[in-house]
Amino acid sequence: MMGETRENRKTNIIHRISDLLCVTPIGLFGVILLAALPFIPPFNQEYMIRWLIVGIFVAAQAVAFDFTSGYINIVNFGFCAFVGVGAYTSAILAVKLGLSPWIGMFAGILPAALVGFLTGVLTLRLRGIFAAIMAWFIGLALMGLTTKMVFLTEGPLGLNCPALMRTKSNMPYFYIILIMFLITYIVLKRVVRSPMGIAFKAIGQNMEAARTSGINPTRYRIINFTLSCAFAGWLGGFYAHYYGILMPDMMHTSKTVEVLVVVYIGGRSTLWGGAFAAIPFICATEMIRSSFSDIPGVNLILYGLFLMAIMIYYPGGIAQLYSTLLERLQSPIVRRLGIGKLGSYSG
Amino acid sequence: MSNDQLEKSLLAHMYGGLKSPGGITISLTIVGALLATVDKGSYIIVTAIVTGGMWALMAMGLALVFGVMNIPNFAHGDFFMIGALVAYFVFTPLSNYVSQHSSPLWVALVPFLAIFMAAGAGAVAGILSELFVFRPLRKRSKEQWVMNSFVLTVGLSTVLINGHQVFLGTDFRGIVSYWPYPSIPFFGFYISFDRFLIFLLALAIMLGFWGFMKFSSKGRAIRAVSQDETGALLVGVHLNTIQTLTLALGSGLAALAGASLLFMFPAYPTVGLGPLYNSFFVIVVVGLGNVGGAVAGGFIVALLQVLTTVYVGEGWGYVVPSVVIVAILLFKPSGIFGSEVRGVLDQ
Repeated sequence: MMGETRENRKTNIIHRISDLLCVTPIGLFGVILLAALPFIPPFNQEYMIRWLIVGIFVAAQAVAFDFTSGYINIVNFGFCAFVGVGAYTSAILAVKLGLSPWIGMFAGILPAALVGFLTGVLTLRLRGIFAAIMAWFIGLALMGLTTKMVFLTEGPLGLNCPALMRTKSNMPYFYIILIMFLITYIVLKRVVRSPMGIAFKAIGQNMEAARTSGINPTRYRIINFTLSCAFAGWLGGFYAHYYGILMPDMMHTSKTVEVLVVVYIGGRSTLWGGAFAAIPFICATEMIRSSFSDIPGVNLILYGLFLMAIMIYYPGGIAQLYSTLLERLQSPIVRRLGIGKLGSYSG
Repeated sequence: MSNDQLEKSLLAHMYGGLKSPGGITISLTIVGALLATVDKGSYIIVTAIVTGGMWALMAMGLALVFGVMNIPNFAHGDFFMIGALVAYFVFTPLSNYVSQHSSPLWVALVPFLAIFMAAGAGAVAGILSELFVFRPLRKRSKEQWVMNSFVLTVGLSTVLINGHQVFLGTDFRGIVSYWPYPSIPFFGFYISFDRFLIFLLALAIMLGFWGFMKFSSKGRAIRAVSQDETGALLVGVHLNTIQTLTLALGSGLAALAGASLLFMFPAYPTVGLGPLYNSFFVIVVVGLGNVGGAVAGGFIVALLQVLTTVYVGEGWGYVVPSVVIVAILLFKPSGIFGSEVRGVLDQ
């Protein structure tokens, strides 16, 4: 019995850490593995690290996207336009006013959150598909504005903006985006785990019932949109200063579709599902793209086919696969490691 | 009822119709068109009417699929692309052949042949996507159907666009004109023969479509399914047939629009995006699933875009309409002709 308590204490520490980070012990292991990945042989080349950076960037976007689509059940179809608002704000501040990109990245949050807030207000009376289409139109309008406001954004020629730091190595960027991803995940996960998250889910499932139970849908929907778009803007700032060039194309619907595919493959309403799916998925599609570089578009066909197959045959995505596998594996080891109780972490 | 009374009630009815949001919008559109015509010349109203006819056809297809099957078809623009492609491949060799063995009758008929073959190809594509994409999903789950089928069509669209890119490349495949006839003088300026005939064709198709929906037994069955699926099933409507037919009709209309406008929009992978945005503008303005309203909406959106191009400038064609539509949605969340009844679309 005594031995068991010591064991319990040990697992308790792991639990406490993982509770703080809002991940299961397996997830914690995954994050550590990810942080070590640039040193592990097949991944320690520069182009591989580039792919990983793109993967984590999409993963972070997927978390922010799922925060809206998975919880209040409104697919923000203009999502990448909000990322673009953050990116352009940061880039314009750096180019026109000479503001340091490090501050600019955070400055990008403000307009993105503002636009997100406005979208939240505008879509208040709309539900489901109407709200998705409205968000889509707002995204289209934003993209059109960026294309036409040449004096600020250089339009389709592309806006050159300074990099975050003077280094050719991708390594520092990798850790920056990893940290940004973790912050996005932890903050949003904490919100989702709090009573507010339950309110979000209630609104997403049945707005009338939620209203009857005393939840104010207006308030929660606006909070949700603003938060999600604020993070989108922040991530956009990273995008601007990592690539060094911005084009209105980055706000295009097809970019949103990329995030959406990842979220749906990973599993909706989990936050971690999309993040988990993003890295292998992006790496795989990049690999396909570079090996079939003479026929562009093959990777996107696979995107589409994969999305359709997932939607039809396994709508729960990887998250559902994970939980069904765990149900089958009810062995003592699984229980002791505390990964069986996914529910308490996944919210 | 005496003649006098009848006249009074008719007037009251018309007055009531004018006061409704739909009436107000239509009157505003007409007034706007007239003012612009006085200001800039009659070509505005003619361009709006001629392109509006095709947007109306396209939006009718989208509205039909939405109303009957509850699918917000994001791949609708890709059926437009298929139509343009098929029309190009049918028309170019045939017109070469015909011009060598010149016979005036064939010169006049070949374009129609190309357009109707394209519509047929679009219908076949619609049937295939119903069989292989939508039916499997419908069999498995009807939960959150609207949103899920929307994401499914996003996947379908990605596959079609990139399939075109992979198998046929990114070349522009266009023609100068269908009919080698001189332009027609019209109130002080010339309208190309193609545009004129295509507009007549659009009117004829609309009329035929209306007749089909109103008088044929299949059309009645389609309307029955759009009103109440279970009820239609109870009275012996074969649901699968009707749904296949609906998608075939919807995509056939899109392909027909694509084929007819080949001289304005050459076929290339993403040619369908603009028309897709337009038809979504239309059906959101008039209320999703409202087939009759889509006709009026097509002209309204076309006028809006012509006015934008003339008064604001080229390239703002999506910004201004999106802003106007967002404003309309604010006051009438279910569209100008929509009812306030909340149903399956609000999921």
